[in-house]
Order: sequence, then C-alpha cells, then structure tokens
Amino acid sequence: MRRWLKKYGLVSCLLCLGFWPLGQSAYIPAKAWLAQDLMQRAWERAGDGDLEARPWPWADTYPVARLLADSGRVDLIVLSGGSGRTLAFGPGHLSASATPGDVGNAVIAGHRDTHFRFLRDVEVGDTMIVERPSGLQYLYEVIGNHVVDSRRGALTLDTDDAFLSLVTCYPFDAIDPGGPMRYVVTLRKLL
Amino acid sequence: MQTSNKPWHPPVGHLDTARHLGKKHSPWTVTAALWLLVLMPLLSNAEPVNPNEMKAGGLLLKMQDGYHAATTLNTDVDITVNGLVMRVKVRQQFRNTGTEWAEGIYVFPLPDEAAVDHMRLKVGERIIEGEIQEKEKARKAYEKAKAEGKKTTLVEQQRANLFTTAVANIAPGEAVTVEIEYLEEARYDAGTFSFRFPMTLTPRYMPGSPLADRKGSGWSADTTEVIDASLISPPMVQRSNEHRVSLDVFVNAGVPLDIIASRYHPVSIREEAGRYSVSLDDPDTRLDHDFELVWRPLADSKPRAMSFSEIIDGESYYLLMLVPPVEGRVAPLRMPRETIFIIDTSGSMHGTSINQAKNALGRALQRLLPGDRFNIIEFNSVMRPLFNDSVDASTANLSHAQTFVARLQANGGTEMKPALKFALSSPVTETHLKQVIFITDGSVGNEDALYRVIEQQLGATRLFTVGIGSAPNSWFMRKSAELGRGTFTIISAMHEVGEKMDRLFAKLEAPQVTDIQIDWPAGVDAYPSRVPDLYLGEPVSVRVRADAPFPMGESINIAGNMPGERWTTEIPVTDDHSAFGVGALWARARIAELSDAARRGANPDEIRASIVETAMTHHIVSKYTSLVAVDKTPVRPAGAPLSKDQVPNLMPHGQSANAIFGFPATATPAAALRLQAAVFLLLAALTFLIQRRRRASLA
Repeated sequence: MRRWLKKYGLVSCLLCLGFWPLGQSAYIPAKAWLAQDLMQRAWERAGDGDLEARPWPWADTYPVARLLADSGRVDLIVLSGGSGRTLAFGPGHLSASATPGDVGNAVIAGHRDTHFRFLRDVEVGDTMIVERPSGLQYLYEVIGNHVVDSRRGALTLDTDDAFLSLVTCYPFDAIDPGGPMRYVVTLRKLL
Repeated sequence: MQTSNKPWHPPVGHLDTARHLGKKHSPWTVTAALWLLVLMPLLSNAEPVNPNEMKAGGLLLKMQDGYHAATTLNTDVDITVNGLVMRVKVRQQFRNTGTEWAEGIYVFPLPDEAAVDHMRLKVGERIIEGEIQEKEKARKAYEKAKAEGKKTTLVEQQRANLFTTAVANIAPGEAVTVEIEYLEEARYDAGTFSFRFPMTLTPRYMPGSPLADRKGSGWSADTTEVIDASLISPPMVQRSNEHRVSLDVFVNAGVPLDIIASRYHPVSIREEAGRYSVSLDDPDTRLDHDFELVWRPLADSKPRAMSFSEIIDGESYYLLMLVPPVEGRVAPLRMPRETIFIIDTSGSMHGTSINQAKNALGRALQRLLPGDRFNIIEFNSVMRPLFNDSVDASTANLSHAQTFVARLQANGGTEMKPALKFALSSPVTETHLKQVIFITDGSVGNEDALYRVIEQQLGATRLFTVGIGSAPNSWFMRKSAELGRGTFTIISAMHEVGEKMDRLFAKLEAPQVTDIQIDWPAGVDAYPSRVPDLYLGEPVSVRVRADAPFPMGESINIAGNMPGERWTTEIPVTDDHSAFGVGALWARARIAELSDAARRGANPDEIRASIVETAMTHHIVSKYTSLVAVDKTPVRPAGAPLSKDQVPNLMPHGQSANAIFGFPATATPAAALRLQAAVFLLLAALTFLIQRRRRASLA
C-alpha cells in the first residue's frame, strides 16, 4: 500500500483535483438545460391556471414568462427572481421590475455561458416573443446593445413604454465569474 | 528499494527544476509545449475589456459619465469630546494616481446635525483657509479658479447629512489634503452618552422618472421626484485598496465613567486623569461601517443637568441639557395598543440588513399581549400589508405573522410613500394607543416628500423609526421620528438587536413627559422652540441665544406633565462650562427649524434669507452656503487637460451592489472550473511522465 501510494499517490491526487471540477463544470450546463425541460412542463401547468406552478415540488421559484428568440431556436422559460439559485435553472425576472408585457422596464437576467449565450449574436432590429402564463404573446424588437460597468450604473425601472432589458455578464468568454461588466440588450414592445 | 532513500519531491519542485530536467530528458520540452498548446486557448479567452468598445449609456441605463479611476482617497478623523460638545476634524487625502491633471469629487456622509464651520486646503506646506459664501457665489469662485488652473476646493451640503468635497487641479502623482471641521452634540439617552461617525452611505433609491439634464455625475439621472439625484448617487465599489480610515477620539466626559466602549470596531483605550484616548486598533480600517462610541457615567454621578456657554460679539449662547425628575415612577395600567410595523424589503436591505430587520420584527411581535392589535406592512417597489386591517394579537395571528416575517426577502425599489400612508391612514380608536414602528435603512432620495406625508397624516399616531444596516440614513431616522413624535433607534449588528429592541419597547411602554415648558427671560431665542415629548430616559436639550448673559446664581424654571401629575424643576445658571462651538450649534438648530418651516409652506425667499444670514454669521455650511478655498498661484499649465473624477464610496459592510443596481451575477463558474480541471489533469500527466522517467533512469 505504501509503495503504491509512493508510486501513484501524487498522480492520483492530481487526477482527483482535476476530475472534480471537470465534473462540476459539466454539471452546470447539464442542470441548466435539464431544468428547462422540467420547466416547460410547469409552464403548461401554469397555462392551465395553476398560477404559481412550481417546476419541482421544493423549488423556491416559479415560471413567469417564456422567451422565444432566433425564430424559435431559443425557447426559454423565465423564472421569478434573480438569485444565484434561480439563475442556475433559467433566466430570472427581477421581481422589482415590471411584468414582461406591461408598461415599464422588465429586467431578465441570465448566465452568459448557458441560457443567455445567444445574446452575443443578437442584433438591433431582431425580434423576440414574450409569452405570459395566460398564453398572451407580445412581440419585442431589439433597439440597443450596451456594455456597462455594473458598479457605476443602474437600470431605469419606471418607463412610460413597455421595455425589456436582457442582462448577462460580459465578456462572454471570460474565465472569472465575478466580473463587473454586464451586457444589456434593450427591447421595445411592438405589439 | 532504492527510491525509498530519496527525498520526496513536491510537484512544484519538479517544475522548479525544469531547466535541469530539460537537459536530461528531451521529452520534457515536448510535454511542456503540449501543455501550453492546451492551455493557450483557455487563457486567451480571458480577454480584457477594451474601454473603447464600451458604449456606456443607453436609453434605460443610468450610467455616470467620465470614469478614469485615478483619484483615490483616504480619511483621517480626530474627535474631541468636551461634555456634550464635540469637535470633529476630518482630513480627506485625495491622491491623483493618473497621468492627467484631475478634479476629484467625493460625496460623503456626516452626522445629520453636524455644523460644518471650517475647511482648509493644504498644498504642500501652505494652508488656505476656506471662506463661507452663498452657494452660487462659492461655486462660481470655484469654477473660475478651476478654469484658471489654480488649486481650489469647495465643500457643499446636499442633504442635512450628505456633503460633497470638490478639489480641482491636482497634479499627476500629487496628494492634496482637505481638512473639514464640524461641531456636534453627543447624544445622551438612558444615562449613556454616544455618538456615531458615519463612514459611507447606502445607495439611495430615486423615485420618479429621469429628467433630460443632469447636475452631477452620479450613477442616477436627476428625476422628477429627486431633482438632485445625480449629485447624491456616487459610484459604489465593493472592494478597494484605498478607502482606509484612521480615527482617534479624546473624551473629556466631565464625570467619572463606568464604561467606555466602541460598538462595532476594535479599539484601544487609554485613561489619564479621568480623560480617555480612544483609537482604532486596525490601522487599515475600511471606510464601510459607521463608528459608534458609547460612554456611561458611574451610577451615582449621572448628570441631572449640564450647561455649556459661549459668548460671541456680546451675545450669549447656551447649550442646556436636563434630565426630568421622573425616574422610578411607574406607569399606570398598560393601555392596549395597536402596533403597525412597516418593514423595508427593498434591494438596499439585501444582505445582513434584512436579517437584522427580520430579527428585530420577530422580537417586537413577541412583545405584543392579548388585547393588543397589530399589522405588518412590507414594501419595496410595491406595498403589501399582511392583513387588510389590524387584527388581534391572538396566537394564531401571531404565528401567521412570524411565518410571514420569516419568508420576507429583500429586492426591488424603495417606494415608501404608499406604505407610510397606509399605516398612518387607519383611524385611531379610543381604546387603543396607535404606534407605527418603521424598520428601514432610510436609503431614499426624496426625504422631504416623506417628511411631508408624516406631518400631514400623523394625527394621534406616534411613529418610531428603527434604522438598520452598516450605514443607515441617520437624518431620515431622526427627523421622521421627530416629526412622528416618537423616537429612533439604530441597529447595525445582529448581536445588538435584542438589547436595542428591548430598550425601544421599554420606551413605548413607559409613560411620556409631555407639554414641557421653559420660562425664558426676555430676549431669548431657543431651539427647538417647542420641546418635544420625552420618552423614558430622554433629556430635554435646548440651544439658546440670549441678548444678555443669564444672571449668575439664578435659575430657569422648567415644568412638564406626567400621567396624573405635573412636575417643575429648575436649571441653575452656572458659568463653569465655557465651550467653543455652542454658537455654531445654536445656528445649526435654528437652520433645521427654518428648513422645517419651509417644508410646511413658509415663504421660501424669507426662509432662504434667514438661513443665509444665520449661516454667514456663524460661518457654517448649509443648504444655501458653502465653504470655498482658492490658492493664488496657477499651477496647471494653460492647455493641459483636466479630467473630472468622481471618487467612489465603499459599499456598506454586509451589503451587495448587485441587489441594488439591478445587475445580478450572470456568469457560472463553469469556465473557471474547466480551466482548473485542465491544469490539474495536465499536472497529473506531467508528474506521471516525470516520475516514470526518473524511475527508469534510476533503475
């Protein structure tokens, strides 16, 4: 045993240290996309009138909207709240902001490396659809993309028109998850 | 086994001897190259943000402009306490670490009753004393000197407890010190003296819709309801290598002390002949948590009355404090009460604050007795009452309430008005004493509008504020309680929730001293002009200007009501406490009362003239007067650019900027984890290869 340890101990330790984060990094996107599948079902339940339908029994959040972009290739269930726990499963709607579809600015945040990765390819003039639990759909048009320093700014929440702000981290391929820069895509409701 | 005699080499050792190994084993170079090849794309992903690509601003983004991050700031504080009168010196050192000439702007909090009466600009060995001028005139003098390349500094008041220092023409690499002095009265409550020195501000919520023009360069645009929002919204940083503070206090209490202690910071205390020197233990204390010092006299030497005087230009000024002789009287039967709790669950309460608030509320609920009625109102962007109307404090209702409190979460805006209106609007009944307990950090920009709501709708209700967090808005706490005819408490740490809430309830339950009247001689101007009702342990404190000194040996009569009886007492006039600064404190109290009158609709021009006159006479900063200092010689070469730089403030301890500014963390650690995995797996492969080769060569 001692001989084995001497021979392979260090290598095994390093292998463990390597495979553990590898597993975790694989779990993050797996969780992100699997949860979306569960939530699609909760969404249908919400459509059937169960207004705070939770995607799984112990969930501390519930779906508030569905976001369709890129001609339907992006189909995301938006959850209530912007906490780290919520964002692991899907984009989160900040409860302080307006309800998507209503007058005011609705802010939806998502992770740059999972759900909101598609934002890097979104351009001014693109359209997105927001669906509410009731089934009502609203069409939005992208009117701007901005990179901002979150330490030095805030989002306007009270607006006279219906806006949607999609927020994710920037730059998209950075390693450090705690950076201050944010990428904000602003949309205005067309109908 | 041969290898067993060889010392074990840690993996780092292998890497350190890479050169040596490289000579022996050519495959090393191959492995290293392979390793780099794998790592390169991973590392190159971490591209830095190019500022040129950044399009700051946008339709819905409230961004401040002109960010150069060059000016840094450290603070040095000296406080001298003489009985009740405190003189505080704050030295702010602005250092320009950039390569251009800079104008540094710093927004900072001071105690809400501070009378700022001196400012000095220190340039090398020279000291330029600041002059008091009307606000617009001072600003013009500053702008002119700035344009001419002269060193200049301007101290303006934005709120009663929020000031701005601007320093222009700081050379690259240079440090400029601005020294500000103010006077303050120590708080005396329930036999204990205390004061707070605020260190940072909690970002305030700015209601209203944004306006096109902006006055300042803060993160918020000016709005329809907070027209100076851009001036009071400095950028906030979560981490900083600067923002350090050193603080020394010298206490001459005038009475022997039982206890002297700092509430939140470790300090060392030295005593010499009954005087105390207090200094912060950590020389690198972060500027992110208010400092509070408390000192309590020995039980048998607690002062019953204190007086301080100053004579300026033939006029006499007094600061008088008296503890009413009501100790030991017990309340008649406790009257059932209707208590309405308002709890702030806005984004600025996120972090440690909401836990302190929930704990305080939970404790308050336990104090309710059968027969009492209560309700809880939670508010952030919207208001949500627990019950439509107050309900009986039954076991079922209370346990429902405790569950409600336990589930509260902090996020969203701070729309206080609807919650206040709802709490104050319910009718007061004959049978119950109605009290509103308002638990908040007070981080709003529209204080005056809220004060108006309180004044107009108070009726027979009493409003008590409980300030929460590392840096609550002290002005909002004190003023709301004053207008609400209640009292305020500040809780800045979880461990003091119990102590402070219990003391608040003791005040709520003990009888009040009301209708206090003081028989002044002729020719006296005293503030507050109407002495407020006193709660358990609170003294009467007045600031007086008299045409002629009070005759020695005589006394001033004072009387008040307790439930069921009237008491009278007298303040003897003695001349043993002459104190520099009493005049300025009187002026500050007068200005506060004039500002109240303006809010109640008095003629704004007359009020403004009175405030300016008082402030100019006593050389203090106010809403309409500023301190300005200008150096004579121009230093910045004509044509050299000057960059404007708003110095950020440190986020209060225990709070997160993301919760307030609407930018949650939106990246997973997946990329960082993959990088970590790659590094360790490669190290494992390398170690394996190297060990095999070594064994092979040894065999």
